[in-house]
Amino acid sequence: MPPPVHDAAIVFTHASVAYDRFPAVEQVNGTVRPGEIVALVGPNGAGKSSLIKAVLGLVPVVAGSIVVLGRPPAQARRQVAYVPQADTLDPNFPISVAQVVLMGRYRRIGWLRPPGRADRAAAAAALAAVGLEHRARDRFGLLSGGQRQRVLLARAIASEPAVLVLDEPFNGVDVVSQEALLGAVRELTARGAAVIISTHDLTLAQSACDRVCLLNRRQFAFGPPADVLTPPLLRQAYGGAALELADHGLILAR
Amino acid sequence: MTDLLIEPFGAPYMARALVEGLILGALCGAVGVYVLVRRLAFLADAITHTVFPGVVIGFLVSGQSGIVPGALVCAVLAAGLFTLVTSTDRVSDDATLAVLLTSFFALGVVLVSRQRSYTADLTAFLFGHILTIDRSDILVTAAVAVLAVLVLLALGRPLLAGAFDREWARAAGYRITLLDLVGNMLIALVVVAAVQAVGTVLVIAMLVVPAATARLVSDRLPVIVAVAMGLGLLGAWWGLAASYSASIDHGVRLSAGATIVLVLVAGYALALLGRVAHRALARPATATR
Repeated sequence: MPPPVHDAAIVFTHASVAYDRFPAVEQVNGTVRPGEIVALVGPNGAGKSSLIKAVLGLVPVVAGSIVVLGRPPAQARRQVAYVPQADTLDPNFPISVAQVVLMGRYRRIGWLRPPGRADRAAAAAALAAVGLEHRARDRFGLLSGGQRQRVLLARAIASEPAVLVLDEPFNGVDVVSQEALLGAVRELTARGAAVIISTHDLTLAQSACDRVCLLNRRQFAFGPPADVLTPPLLRQAYGGAALELADHGLILAR
Repeated sequence: MTDLLIEPFGAPYMARALVEGLILGALCGAVGVYVLVRRLAFLADAITHTVFPGVVIGFLVSGQSGIVPGALVCAVLAAGLFTLVTSTDRVSDDATLAVLLTSFFALGVVLVSRQRSYTADLTAFLFGHILTIDRSDILVTAAVAVLAVLVLLALGRPLLAGAFDREWARAAGYRITLLDLVGNMLIALVVVAAVQAVGTVLVIAMLVVPAATARLVSDRLPVIVAVAMGLGLLGAWWGLAASYSASIDHGVRLSAGATIVLVLVAGYALALLGRVAHRALARPATATR
């Protein structure tokens, strides 16, 4: 029996997404339910980032639909938190870790009111959830790449989102930070948040995610990792970028 | 020392220059921090050139009193066009600015080359005339300062979020293009307000140098804003005093606007030296962190 509508955090229905007027990914179908982690997997240029931006309402859906929390993506933004790649940010920017996390509260705080006690407490709790409460006063750029990624996740957690969207959060991240990121994400899903993670890391998609969406310009499969991350499907999606091993394993070029 | 720093401002024209300089110093210090974190120094520089045709047209239409309105129209136009063109992400910021800067400036040159009686006023435009500033000039600067305070208080957080992480700010629902427009317009207003006092060539120093100095001194944004404003105030005060003392007491004519800038740059040099020294001394300690 299909889940009732209000049990779906994000619903993709024959969704096609265009980036800069060119189609980036087509025919995406599937549902992300509250409390589950869905991995977006595919080679470079597969359209993972475009699909993520469409969920955030930053890139248009040109055919079909994407419905986030029952609304068009651009109208669901207050309950959606985005975690960009930390290495896209200027490490020299004069901002402390605590200030970055507090940004997650900005939309709740409003325009003129100063941040209140509840906002500071939520920011502090979010920073503790990623294990970096002792770095609150440090400048953001002084942290390691993995730690910066955790701070950006803390900013998302501070906004108490119903949907969490992470763009390649494990790129160049050390094992400690990867564990901290996953632990904090699981805490959110335990509270009912729906999570989308785009990643190159198939092992991680297999072990940490409830379902996987396999993409390359279109959707090749959407389902449990064991059903999606199979050599035949991966070979289809990755095409010439897949190298077969003698024992039926695959090596995937990025 | 007190004589040197207080006495020059007994004369009414020096008192007016001081008031104008202090307002501008604090204003440029605060807005300069936004210029710094958004990396918009080149925009500020371009606006100083794009106001040129406005100044000429303003002067032709209604003489000296037409300069500020003319400059304002051109600055606002340039800041608006810049925001519009760069919001498409198709053309890079610096290329857009180069096109705007040269086309506006060329227009100004064409207009001014058709005039003969313009040279004296043009010098004032290039280097400012802080010593002959009048009450209405001060009122314009004060109005811009009040507006800047209001904008920075109301939009400080969105502007900070947009400067630090544009894509996240967009995803959070902020209208980045609108925020850019407000920020760019603010820079345009400050440039126009400061052009009267220090001229187009030096206004960029008023905006960028105190903020850059403050950045050398601190990593914390509130501290940077406070230090930049303080440096702007000190630069105006000490610069005017030094220029007065050199000209009156020692017979060496020092341009007031340029002296203000030189004081600011001296502060920057000191901060840079201090930072280099601090790093050399602290290196073993920071390595273990």
